[in-house]
Amino acid sequence: MKSSSKKVVASAAFVGLVAGAYPVAAHHSTTMFDREKFIVLEGTVKELHWTNPHVAIFIENAVAKPGVPDGLWVVELTSPGNLVRSGWTRTLIKPGEKVAVEVHQLRDGSKGGGLRKITVASTGQTFNYNIRDQERPNLEGETYK
Amino acid sequence: MRKLCSAILVAFMGLGCAHAAEPPAKVKSVINPPPTAKDWADLAKLPDWSGVWNPKITDQDAQVKTNMPPWTPKANEYIQFQLAEERAGRPPPLFTNCLPEAMPAWMLVTHNSMEVLFTPGRVTMLGESDGARLRRIYTDGRKHPEDPDPTFHGHSIGHWEGDTLVVDTIGVLPQTLIAVSEAAGHPNNGDMHIKERIHLDPKNKDIMLVHLEITAPKVLTKTWTTTRIFFRQRARIYDIIEGVCQEGYFKPDKDKHGNDIFVPIPHAVGGNREPPK
Repeated sequence: MKSSSKKVVASAAFVGLVAGAYPVAAHHSTTMFDREKFIVLEGTVKELHWTNPHVAIFIENAVAKPGVPDGLWVVELTSPGNLVRSGWTRTLIKPGEKVAVEVHQLRDGSKGGGLRKITVASTGQTFNYNIRDQERPNLEGETYK
Repeated sequence: MRKLCSAILVAFMGLGCAHAAEPPAKVKSVINPPPTAKDWADLAKLPDWSGVWNPKITDQDAQVKTNMPPWTPKANEYIQFQLAEERAGRPPPLFTNCLPEAMPAWMLVTHNSMEVLFTPGRVTMLGESDGARLRRIYTDGRKHPEDPDPTFHGHSIGHWEGDTLVVDTIGVLPQTLIAVSEAAGHPNNGDMHIKERIHLDPKNKDIMLVHLEITAPKVLTKTWTTTRIFFRQRARIYDIIEGVCQEGYFKPDKDKHGNDIFVPIPHAVGGNREPPK
């Protein structure tokens, strides 16, 4: 708790100032992710944090490549609300599933990034989202089964 | 002796000493009358703002280039630096402390939906993501307090001009941001005054237009006007979902007794979950 709290306080102290070379969680710009390219993780979902303001999927990457080490990665998404409106559910991606994930990696090269899309190996189904794709009224709204 | 007298005065709640100052006069609070059947019936005459309203984010993005606030030179330098940092992949973490996006940033740069409720004498805007994102707009004819306690969303009074809700807001904390993106915004620094005209688009009643006039003399050289656009959704998957921002700093876990608890998880300075080493 102490360590995390200190970091949160440190974050608060940075409001309106220059950030370090780190991405942000709440209501953030996404330019910390390199959106001009993506990497692919192939492995197993370890944990899913269905929490505001950003959902996160922890993935054990089994296939190491140059610049893409194996081991545990964290991939962040938008909020639960915005995911639900994109058809997602809390149980769409389950711990233990084999997945292939396209990720816009953190620019500092560490094992994190933003989701581009995720494919579940057992079904071949692919999921992504785009909240800017909902800019018209009276959308019908569909949820993945 | 005087100190002792004061101490006694405090201790006995005003049962005082001969030389004690007169306590401040008390003013009775205004009592809000209970709504009448007519008050409830009159709500039906208001325009239909039901449903959930999601923002036009691409227009927020576009206005960074097309409608920049008239910043003072000093504020502009600050904003341009933030925008450059954002472009360079180091977005300044404006909202990572999980305090409310607040006014006027909620209206300006939110990526989340909101709903609007009408009750007698009040319009209530409910949003997502801050945990306490809520605006109370009093439409019962009251005036602003002379010296309102500053708050994140300020003190708002409103009235209807036809189908347009006209809102006047003062008393916003000086720290709240006039934000143009999620990574560029300037504290309003006090004395901010926000006027809004909110109505449905006459050409499409499922589009809401929020016209804002923001006067912030400490950071803007003149009043800034901007219009923000929201889309009505009625599909239930658009219903507002509880959004407690701080939740992301924790993960669900069990304690040694098997109880469900939240456990803090490490975050980098910028607010993201720390990538595994």
